[in-house]
Amino acid sequence: MADDAHDRAEELLPWYAAGSLDAADRAIVEAHLACCPACRQQLAGERALIDGFQALTPDIDSGWARLRGRLETRPSLAARLSETLTDAWHVLTRPVVAGLATAQVAFVAIAGLFLQSAAQPAYVALGATPVAGAANIVVMFKPDAREADLRGALEATGGALVGGPTEADAYLVHVAPNARSAALAKLQADRSVTLAQPIDGPAE
Amino acid sequence: MRLVGAARRLQSDERRSGGLNEGELLARVRARDMQAFERLYRIYQPRLARFLFNLVQRPQLVEEVLDDTMMVVWQTADSFRGGSKLSTWIFAIAYRKAIKARSRWPDPVEDDPYDTRVSDDPTPEEDLGHQRLHDALQMAMAGLSADHRAVVDLTYFHGMGYREIADIMKCPVDTVKTRMFHARRRLKDAMSGSLEDWL
Repeated sequence: MADDAHDRAEELLPWYAAGSLDAADRAIVEAHLACCPACRQQLAGERALIDGFQALTPDIDSGWARLRGRLETRPSLAARLSETLTDAWHVLTRPVVAGLATAQVAFVAIAGLFLQSAAQPAYVALGATPVAGAANIVVMFKPDAREADLRGALEATGGALVGGPTEADAYLVHVAPNARSAALAKLQADRSVTLAQPIDGPAE
Repeated sequence: MRLVGAARRLQSDERRSGGLNEGELLARVRARDMQAFERLYRIYQPRLARFLFNLVQRPQLVEEVLDDTMMVVWQTADSFRGGSKLSTWIFAIAYRKAIKARSRWPDPVEDDPYDTRVSDDPTPEEDLGHQRLHDALQMAMAGLSADHRAVVDLTYFHGMGYREIADIMKCPVDTVKTRMFHARRRLKDAMSGSLEDWL
């Protein structure tokens, strides 16, 4: 019986030393400590360990700026949906499956419907530019393209970046429907661009 | 009077929170108040960084898992109903993320897993004693399993009770007690001599 009380109190000692026991557990430990020199000695050891742990602090920089950057660039639900669809679209338009024109056209039509329905995102990151519309152009750049190249090419379209980079390193852009043909022509003429295609049906 | 542990943490948390309690901060986070989220981040970042460092033992993973954890907090703040303490909810997210991250990189780093600094400025005499204990603690902790390290850290540093730790690690309270019991045995063995010098 005494051994049981000892074991029970000994088991609780770390939390007793740390001050995190409730009143009932604390009473059990204190009743035992009053008659057990071994546990009293062990309690001193626990407190020394706690002191040691309190002073041992890993040197990790605060990453608020990094996290805030992630929050602000996180694409909206619409863009993430677009990303998924665009990746699938990209697979469909690879040369090996390019012959499947019917499937492609069907997919583009379906993707267009999905994108339209997703144009009002359920989640918009704070600080993010409001999404003016669903993505209607997908763009890919050469691997060695610099950030300035990307920025210049995208700004030249007069549209808004609404997603990307996707896993396939594609970017999703929304431009005004009546400006899409011109935007596509500019992107396709840009030396840093490897692919620029409409993603919700034929250009106007 | 020397402030230790939870009391010192509480004081610095209050400073970081700008006078708002955690419930008020979370309500503002739900309303997508980025300043409130920054305050919440600054309260939890040091605690999570330490907890995660013990679990994953890779600085670059700590940053990644910490960011992922706080992203989940930001995105799912609405789903927290107050059934547990906010700290339990956030630490449970961090624990799950850390376990996933560890499964991708299961091997611990060999060199200097604890890039540590002493949080107070000790006297030269204290410095020697502290340094000895720190070295011994580092070595001893490195010899424990990740789950043992988590229980030890949550108990000794974060001042959490065994029920809260069980909630975080999604395991029975008896498992927490057993892990702590074995971890203490191993720590005591590994620190043989050092702890007596400290006392």
